[in-house]
Amino acid sequence: MKTRILGFVALAAVIGAAVNGLFVVPADLNQGDAQRIMYVHVASAWIAYASFGVTALAGLGYLIRRDLRLDALALAGAEVGVMFTAFAIWGGMMWGRPVWGVYWQWEDPRLTTTALLLALYIGYLLLRRLTDDPARRAARAAVVGLIAAVDIPIVHFSVLWWRGLHQGPTIGDPSKILNPSAPLQFVLALLAMLAAFTLVWAYLLIRRYQLARLEWQLEEDARRGLVQTARLALPGAAAAEEPAR
Amino acid sequence: MNGLRQGLAVAMAIARKDAISELRGRQAAGSTLFFAALVLLLFGFALGPDSRRLAEAAPGLLWLAIVFGGLLTMARLHQLEADDGAFEQLALYPVDRRAIYAGKALAGAAVMLVLGGLLLPIVAILYAIPIGTAWLPLLIAVALGAIGFAAIGTAYAGLTVRMRAREVMLPLLMLPVVAPLLLAAVKATAASLSGDPLGELGSWLQLLVAFDVIMLVVGAGTYGFLLED
Amino acid sequence: MPQTTIYVAPRLAGTLGTIPPAVATVELARLFGRSAALAGVSLTVEIGRTVALLGPNGAGKTTLLRILATAIRPSYGTLAIDGIDALREPELVRGRAVYLSHATAHYDDLTAEENLRFAATMFGWGEREGGEVSREALATVGLDGHAGQRVCTFSAGMRKRLALARVLVARPSLLLLDEPHAALDGDGMALVDRLIGLWKEAGVTVMVASHQAERVSSMADATVRLEGGLLAEVSGAGASAGPVGARQRPRVAVARMDR
Repeated sequence: MKTRILGFVALAAVIGAAVNGLFVVPADLNQGDAQRIMYVHVASAWIAYASFGVTALAGLGYLIRRDLRLDALALAGAEVGVMFTAFAIWGGMMWGRPVWGVYWQWEDPRLTTTALLLALYIGYLLLRRLTDDPARRAARAAVVGLIAAVDIPIVHFSVLWWRGLHQGPTIGDPSKILNPSAPLQFVLALLAMLAAFTLVWAYLLIRRYQLARLEWQLEEDARRGLVQTARLALPGAAAAEEPAR
Repeated sequence: MNGLRQGLAVAMAIARKDAISELRGRQAAGSTLFFAALVLLLFGFALGPDSRRLAEAAPGLLWLAIVFGGLLTMARLHQLEADDGAFEQLALYPVDRRAIYAGKALAGAAVMLVLGGLLLPIVAILYAIPIGTAWLPLLIAVALGAIGFAAIGTAYAGLTVRMRAREVMLPLLMLPVVAPLLLAAVKATAASLSGDPLGELGSWLQLLVAFDVIMLVVGAGTYGFLLED
Repeated sequence: MPQTTIYVAPRLAGTLGTIPPAVATVELARLFGRSAALAGVSLTVEIGRTVALLGPNGAGKTTLLRILATAIRPSYGTLAIDGIDALREPELVRGRAVYLSHATAHYDDLTAEENLRFAATMFGWGEREGGEVSREALATVGLDGHAGQRVCTFSAGMRKRLALARVLVARPSLLLLDEPHAALDGDGMALVDRLIGLWKEAGVTVMVASHQAERVSSMADATVRLEGGLLAEVSGAGASAGPVGARQRPRVAVARMDR
C-alpha cells in the first residue's frame, strides 16, 4: 500500500517537473529547446549511478552476510540502472544531434563513459541469466558488480584525461547546465526533475525488489517441493516424514 | 609472518606450475602469439596500404592484439585447471585464497608480458615504426598493461571457467572493464613512440599503476568467493 | 613393501572435554537445477571409524562427499566436521577433511613428481620435506619408476595411483574417498585396501563410497546406504542416522531469504 502511494506521488512529481521543464522554463539562448532534454538526461544519469551504487553495496553485503535478500536488491539496482543508463544515452544522443550535429560525440567523456557503463551492466545481467544456482549466482554477480563499480571512476577519469590532456573543453559541455552562471530557473527545473526521478527510482527499485523476492519464493517452493518429492519416493523415509504434532 | 611466507610459497608454486605447463604445452601459447600477429596483419589489410595511417594507428592496434591474445591466455590458464577437475582440488587445499589468486595472476601477467614483448617487434616491422629508442617506456607500458589485464582476467576467468557459454562471457564481461586500461596503455605507447612531446607519458603510466593496484586488491579480495561453488 | 608414513591432523577437543563426532550433518539437501541430489541426510560418524558408503548410481554418494569436503555448499541443512561448522569456517575444515574425487585433478603437462610436489606445497610442506614425502608417497603407490614422466602419458590406473599419493601427502583427520578402487588393477585395489587399513590404524575417519559393496563392507565398521538422496540404511558401529523427521524442519543455511 505504501509503495502504491509512493508510485502515485512519483508519477505526479514527474508530470509536474516535466510540465515545468517543457513549458514554464524559457528555452536556452544558445541551444534552444534542445536544452530541455538535459533535465531528463542529467537526472537519468544520476539515477543510473545511484542504482549501480546500490548494486555494488548490496553485492558486498551479500558476500559478507550471505543473505539472498541483498542479492535481490542488487538485481533490482542493476536492472533499474540499465534502464536509466539506456535512457540517459538516448537523451544524450537526441540532444547531441541538434547541438553538436552528430548523435555520437567521441570527445564527450560522459557519453563514452555511459556507453561503457551500459556494457558493464548488461554483462552483469547476462551473467545472472547464465547461472542457475541461486547462491552461486548471487556470489558471482556480487563480484562482477563490485569490479564494475570500482571500474566506473577509473573509466570516467581515463576518458576525461583522454580528451583533456589534448585540447580544451568541447563546446556545449553538459556540465554548463549546473554552472553558477546559469539562470536560477534552469537550476531549479533541473533540481525538480532530479527529485521527481529519485521518487520514480525509489518506486521502481522497491517494486523490482519485491518482484525478485516473489520470484525467489516461487523458485524456493519448487525446490522444497523437489526435496519432499524425493522423500516420498522412498517408502521408509516417507513414514518418518509425518509430523509429530 | 609465517602465514605470509606460506602464502608466498603457495603463490610461487602455482605460478611455477602454470609457467611449466605453458612452456611444455608450447603449441597453445605459440598459437596465441600467432593469432595475435595475424590480427595485426589483418588490421593492415583493413586500414589499407597507407603506411602513415598505419604508423599512426599502431599503438591502438598493438594493444587490441594484446587484448585479444590476452583473452585467450586468461581462458587457457584456467582451462588448465578445469581439464582434469583440478580447479575443485585447488579450492580444497587448506591455503589462503588470496595466495591462489596471486599465483594465477602472476602467471597470467608473465605470459602476457612475453606475448606483448614479442608483439612489439612485430608491430615495428609490420607498420614500419622505430621502437629502438623507446624500448624502455614501451616495455614498462606493456608490463603495467599485462599486470592490470591479468588482475582482471584471473578473476573473470575463474568466474567463467565453470559457466555455460564461457567463450563469449569472458570477453563480454572483461572488455568493458579493461577499457580504461586499453585507453591508458595506448596513450602511453603513443607517447613513448613520439618521444613524449606533451610530457604526458608519466600521467598515463600513473593511471596504469592505479588501475593495476585497484584491480589486484579487488581481485584478491573476491577470488575466494569464485573458487567455492 | 616400501615404507609408508601416515600423516594425520591433530585431534581437536570439544567443549568440556567431550569428543565431537567426525561428521555430524542435519538435514543436508542439495539441488542441482530441477533435481534433488540429496534430499535431507542426517548422519553422525564417530571419530576413527571407517564407513562404507553404498548405493546405486545417482543415490547422492558423490554429492554427500563433496559437501563434506566443502567443495559445494548444501542447499539446506548444516554440517560439522570434528565439531567445526563447515558452512561458517570452511577454511578450518579444509585442513582436516581430504577428498579423493572421481576426477584425478592432475596437471597433464607436469610430471608425476612435479604434480605431487605441488600438492605437498599446497598442503603446507616446506621445500625439502615436501620432496621427501612426495618421493615416499610415489614409492608407496608404485610410481617411483615413473616419477619423471608427464601425467598426460599415464593410464587411467596410474592417474588414480598418483591421486592416492596426493592423499598420502595430506594430513587428514577425515578422509572422503570417492570410488578409490575404480580404474585400478588387482594390485592397485589391494593397495587401496592396505592404505585404508593404515589410515584406520592411525585413527583417521574414513568414508568410502563404492560400488564394490563386499570389498569395502568387509573392512568397514559401519555401512551407510543411500537411495534417491536419502539414507536408506545405516548399520554397524560408529555411524548413526540423525532424526530424519519433519520435527526438524530443514534449516536454511545458505538460502536465507524466508523470513
